[in-house]
Amino acid sequence: MSKRRMFLRMITASLLRRRSRMLIALLSIAIGATILAGLVTVYVDVPRQMAAQFRSYGANMILMPAEGHSLTPAEAEAAEALIPADQLVGAAPYRYVYLNMVSRQQTFAAAGTDFEQVQRTSPYFKVEGAYPSSPRQVLIGKTVADTVGARLNGVMELTWFPPAEEEDPQADADTFEIRPGMTLSGQADGYGMSDEGSTKQPVYVVLTVGEDGTIASLTVDTSGETEAIGGRCGSEDFTAQFIGKPVGGDSRLMLGRDIDGISGATVTSTAVVQAVNHVVPVEEGAAPRIPRTINFTVAGILETGGEEDDYIYMSLDDMAAITGEPDTLDLVELSVSAAQENLERYTEAVTASGHATARLVKRVTKSETAVLGKLQALVFLVTLVTLVLTMVSVSTTMMAVVAERRKEIGLRKALGASDGAIRSEFLGEGLFLGALGGILGSVMGFVFAQVVSMNVFGSDIRFNFWLVPITVAVSMAVAALSCLLPVRRAVAIDPALVLKGE
Amino acid sequence: MSLLDIRHVSKIYGELRALDDVSLKVEQGEWVAIMGPSGSGKSTMMNIIGCMDKPTKGEVILDGTDIARESSKRLTDIRRDKIGLIFQQFHMVNYLTAVENVMVSQYYHSMPDEAEALEALDRVGLRERARHLPSQLSGGEQQRVCVARALINHPEIILADEPTGNLDETNENIVLDLFRQLHNEGTTLIVVTHDPEVADAAQRTIVLEHGRLVREVINEHFGE
Repeated sequence: MSKRRMFLRMITASLLRRRSRMLIALLSIAIGATILAGLVTVYVDVPRQMAAQFRSYGANMILMPAEGHSLTPAEAEAAEALIPADQLVGAAPYRYVYLNMVSRQQTFAAAGTDFEQVQRTSPYFKVEGAYPSSPRQVLIGKTVADTVGARLNGVMELTWFPPAEEEDPQADADTFEIRPGMTLSGQADGYGMSDEGSTKQPVYVVLTVGEDGTIASLTVDTSGETEAIGGRCGSEDFTAQFIGKPVGGDSRLMLGRDIDGISGATVTSTAVVQAVNHVVPVEEGAAPRIPRTINFTVAGILETGGEEDDYIYMSLDDMAAITGEPDTLDLVELSVSAAQENLERYTEAVTASGHATARLVKRVTKSETAVLGKLQALVFLVTLVTLVLTMVSVSTTMMAVVAERRKEIGLRKALGASDGAIRSEFLGEGLFLGALGGILGSVMGFVFAQVVSMNVFGSDIRFNFWLVPITVAVSMAVAALSCLLPVRRAVAIDPALVLKGE
Repeated sequence: MSLLDIRHVSKIYGELRALDDVSLKVEQGEWVAIMGPSGSGKSTMMNIIGCMDKPTKGEVILDGTDIARESSKRLTDIRRDKIGLIFQQFHMVNYLTAVENVMVSQYYHSMPDEAEALEALDRVGLRERARHLPSQLSGGEQQRVCVARALINHPEIILADEPTGNLDETNENIVLDLFRQLHNEGTTLIVVTHDPEVADAAQRTIVLEHGRLVREVINEHFGE
């Protein structure tokens, strides 16, 4: 039998046959290694976890129309293509308009979007019910739901009134030139009746300008009006009065002077005159903007505690259907999983491309980096303290082992063991314990990190295989260091003590 | 030249003279008993002969080397190569089997050889108990393992400290019989004891009192 085999045989016998004492040493190393491996796993995985975590606080980049351009889905897609696909977590397009709930006389901000993307860029959205999945479904904010008393699966009648003055305040009657053949439109509040009483109803007018600069034709949309009353304002009898009347510039028509009102529908008659007095040009070739009303089903109610609760969300297709304006976006929220420098780089690249203007949501990304740094520093410190504590614990245990084995060490020396032999035997035991503890710790550390990750971040952690050899090496080093003092004590034992009585 | 030649050796601890000008020669193959009441300097004598302590004064020539002048590292080497130790409390490594305990001695000396270790156990009649742990062995059996361990490296001297002090009469006789065999094979034996029967088994007995060698008795019935 070689000396090395006898050496291993003695060490394993010492570890295996003196189980209770060695288990304590092994346990302290294993626990130290567990915490080491666990914390390092968390430490390494934290940036990934935190990035995911921060993403759930919303998008970190926003695309807006490039200067002088509108933002279309094609432009947005071209801009998104400038960001590496594997780092682009989600891109939620938004189109914002105001929609009316006529029966309640409420105006709400509404957003058309892509719900699949919204769930990626805004994973924190808490939805009661479900995200809209088929046409004519809406997701409404909690505030909206409370205001109108909407329920899940209830029907919401939403009306879009084409914005006139609101959309472009510059395009006032005073600031544009009336040219023959141009189409103008306007709106004013009329009068309507419903089960709950009288309501203000918009009256929408479309007129054309004749060769002489006067009104050539007039269409009045009174779909919101009570048929028998205001509805009559749409009749030929009433609208004919406007033909040949001046429009635009300083011209102002007056009910009673220029136009005879319809008796019993004074409010609507006044509204029509007002609308005509405040017409704006309709873009050439575009259809006259007529209000559209669509019945939606409430698929879900959204509660974020933020401004989202004030919105009504629908698909982009539904938004296009109600506004008649497809391919228009106001902004795209991007969730990009990248470091600050890269985010800045992408932002510049997108803006420079001219497809869109990109902007970072600075507050979140900056604090992300700061919090990350602090967390990693904390984990590093805890790891360091753990290692020192492990060392103290192992050292104490080994010290007790040496004390317990004084007689045995004395005997070994009496039998001719050199100091070096005693040293290598104890270090050998220590290293063996370190290796075993390291392997145990790697496994338990992963479990520990997993538990931490599940509890803190609510997600799985990745197993880092390279961490196993590192943990084992560190455990062995810690065990060896811990054994230095006990070993020195063992070496100092006087062999003569075995000769003394009891 | 004597195998062991102790010349005017004193060991002084402060005021206490544990050994006071002791001289003793032990020849190759001799069986010597050292007797004396406790505190007489037996243990100190044993430590010095066993290369575990050095005298304050005097010379201890073991096989031509003055061990009183050697470094403790050299003393370890000398002890390993020339001395086989047997203790009153047996002292086995409690987590190693009987044969492994014998092999520990081989391990420090040269090369562990299980077959040879088993042979040594066979010699003390414990071949069947080779795989037992000390806790599974009786006191007598443990001491026999220790005898096997002491002789495994063929030492110049077997030095035994009260080898039968913890044994009953049967086991005492077994151990003494083993000593007789060793003596017959030419092994030098130095046995420290306070038991007259054990001392009687030796060829020669020296008596220590208060650190001085006061008497030397030749056993005239030796070998009968």
